[in-house]
Amino acid sequence: MKKVLSVLALCVLVTGSLFAGGGQELQMEDNVPVIRIVSKDVSESNPWDKAHLDNITAGFSAYVGQEVVLEFVDMPEGAYAEKLNLMLLGGDIPDLIYFQGGDEAISKQGILEDLTPFVADSAVMQEVLMDFNKQRMANYPYLLWIAPPRARTAVVREDWFEEAGGVMPVTIDDYYDMMKTIKMNHPESAVVTDTGNTGRMDFTFDQAFGNTATWVMEDGSYVYKGVSDAQKEKLAFYAKLYSEGILDNDYITTKWDTMEDKLYTGQVGMVFGTAGIVLDIYNNKLQENQGVGLVALPPAKGVGQGYPVSSAKETRGWAISALSANKDLTFQLLEYLATDEGQFMERYGLEDIHYTMSGSDVVLTDEANNWWPRFHEVMSWDAPTPLMGPAGMKGWEFIMEYSVGDPDFPIPEELSPTWDALSNLQKEYTFKLITGEYSIDMFDEFVKEWYDLGGERITEYANSVL
Amino acid sequence: MMNKRSLKRRVYRDRYLYLIFLPVLAYFLVWHYIPIWGARIAFQDVRYIGDNEWAGLKHFKLLFSSPVFFRVFMNTITISSMKIFFFFPLPIILAFLLNEVRSQNFRKGVQSMIYLPHFLSWVVIAGIFISLLQSPDGAVNKVLAFFGMETIPFMTSTSHIRWVFVVSEIWRSIGWDSILYIAAINNISLELYDAATVDGATRLQQAMKITLPSILPTIITVFILNLGFFMNAGFDQVFNMMNDAVINHVDIIDTYVYRIGLGKGNFSLGTAAGLFKGVIGLFLILSTDRLSRKVTGEGVW
Repeated sequence: MKKVLSVLALCVLVTGSLFAGGGQELQMEDNVPVIRIVSKDVSESNPWDKAHLDNITAGFSAYVGQEVVLEFVDMPEGAYAEKLNLMLLGGDIPDLIYFQGGDEAISKQGILEDLTPFVADSAVMQEVLMDFNKQRMANYPYLLWIAPPRARTAVVREDWFEEAGGVMPVTIDDYYDMMKTIKMNHPESAVVTDTGNTGRMDFTFDQAFGNTATWVMEDGSYVYKGVSDAQKEKLAFYAKLYSEGILDNDYITTKWDTMEDKLYTGQVGMVFGTAGIVLDIYNNKLQENQGVGLVALPPAKGVGQGYPVSSAKETRGWAISALSANKDLTFQLLEYLATDEGQFMERYGLEDIHYTMSGSDVVLTDEANNWWPRFHEVMSWDAPTPLMGPAGMKGWEFIMEYSVGDPDFPIPEELSPTWDALSNLQKEYTFKLITGEYSIDMFDEFVKEWYDLGGERITEYANSVL
Repeated sequence: MMNKRSLKRRVYRDRYLYLIFLPVLAYFLVWHYIPIWGARIAFQDVRYIGDNEWAGLKHFKLLFSSPVFFRVFMNTITISSMKIFFFFPLPIILAFLLNEVRSQNFRKGVQSMIYLPHFLSWVVIAGIFISLLQSPDGAVNKVLAFFGMETIPFMTSTSHIRWVFVVSEIWRSIGWDSILYIAAINNISLELYDAATVDGATRLQQAMKITLPSILPTIITVFILNLGFFMNAGFDQVFNMMNDAVINHVDIIDTYVYRIGLGKGNFSLGTAAGLFKGVIGLFLILSTDRLSRKVTGEGVW
């Protein structure tokens, strides 16, 4: 029996060693500093990623005047946030870490470096960071994310827009008139759809109705926009669009892919997309399927006008490990990638694959559509050859012109169950009010229920921090 | 001493069988027993660097502190109960029906067809059901409209969505779950049926008096073991089929924990929820086993 037990113990030890985590990697190779980077969908086994990293390594070494080794840490397949957390739990903490959620629990333990002093001392960062980036970093100084705000721009197919008069809508009434005319011209289709909620549409209409921020001022104190007077008016407007068949009656079960499919097959004529290259993709696919392009529309003008951009915190971005032996160098890498030289590599990709040089001009190849920046997308970077088509450029211009700061704040952990319950209550009422299952007068009942369920406590907290 | 020697002799005699059994033992040790020790993080704050800190019942308090936790808990129980009550008998009935089919080719064809959905992920199945049940343009609603009936917004109706879960679960799992019963039926001695036929028993009488009692221990064992998973109302299914219109009627413990805990890297909260569900499952298994022994004389062990 002792032998059997010994064999079993050996099995456990052998299998246990399979699951033992690796320790921290050495930070120096022959006195050359090593910066280890972990990111989503990026790996040294991908030839494009490897070649891009080699280019960055050469450029960065010249930038800092010393040899530096950059390494991408390979991650197993699967949900990135989950795998990253497990890797960090195992004690393997790279120098530069990309987060897409799940960072707060880690920053609370002091593992992520406060980037405030680095950013304050960097002329490059001061130039490329937008106001909303700076506000987010003031609230949560552990993540740096240089990219356009993820606001959604309204786009309408060009032929339907022209049939409806071809005049750029400005006010809410203008939007309604345009959509009503499109519906009359194409009664078999809905005009506009969204993906499971009205989150995309809200970018165009929130400000116009008076929801100028996540927390709006009413009678001298802050009120959550979901229970504001402006929200009631907005939902009444959406309910009208729904009842007249202008808003797709299946928007609640529509996902992003079915939304696109509805646009390309003529089931709807207007959607909302992330400004920039995404609008170009919509435009090109619509051209392929229907032979027409898209027209980008500005946010509606009313009480306010603009795309609200939350200042709560970055929801994704780059963090530097507080345990890194090369913190300064790692930040310099982030800085370098935001310079003109860094952006050239980041935005155009690999020479002779994604672009070629004709004299001093950059000529994009067909593969250019398959390239995406691995680190930063600086909005203010002046690309020598335009990277986007007309639809993408127009959406980009609207974002630059109409982005409006939203002085929001992160919900603390102890209030997150309450916040979750309130969000669900709002979701269900919103759907029922829009579809007419509840009359709009029920909005007042919802507001009362929202406060009773815990909204009172959250509102008190909001007024104490804003 | 006699017993020890006898045990040693038996182990030595069957040493190759024990050797073959080792990988199975290692599997259960590594994946099912060692993780039990990991469940202690439900009572700890996980530290990425250094030792975890004792947190007592903090994560359980966070789990239960939501003003809607009771509703989430009741949704879990309701959806699980509906699945057990309406789904559990169906694979047994299907196994009975397949047993009556005389054509081997037809039987094999049907079996292959009904096993297939088990291999589809819930992402795909959700897409199929959403498309079929759309209102008014889904195939099901078009059939209803063709017969002059009112269309039903299945996916957004709070009174229908739980039934969509039950039906989609049946569609996916009825074939796969029937395998065990078909195997149990195939093990029944044919002599029993021959004797019953000589005595003049009808097919129905044979099914009720021979087949059903013969597979009753299997049915009871499967039922009791299923109760161990009672609090798992089906995360993948619910997560992929839920929408804003019905969220408060279908939000279960797993989806709730995913939103407020796991999505934010709070593994302790997820473990606390898993432990809570596990304790309820264990209680259900033990109590049902005891009840079953008293009533039918059959149990799991």
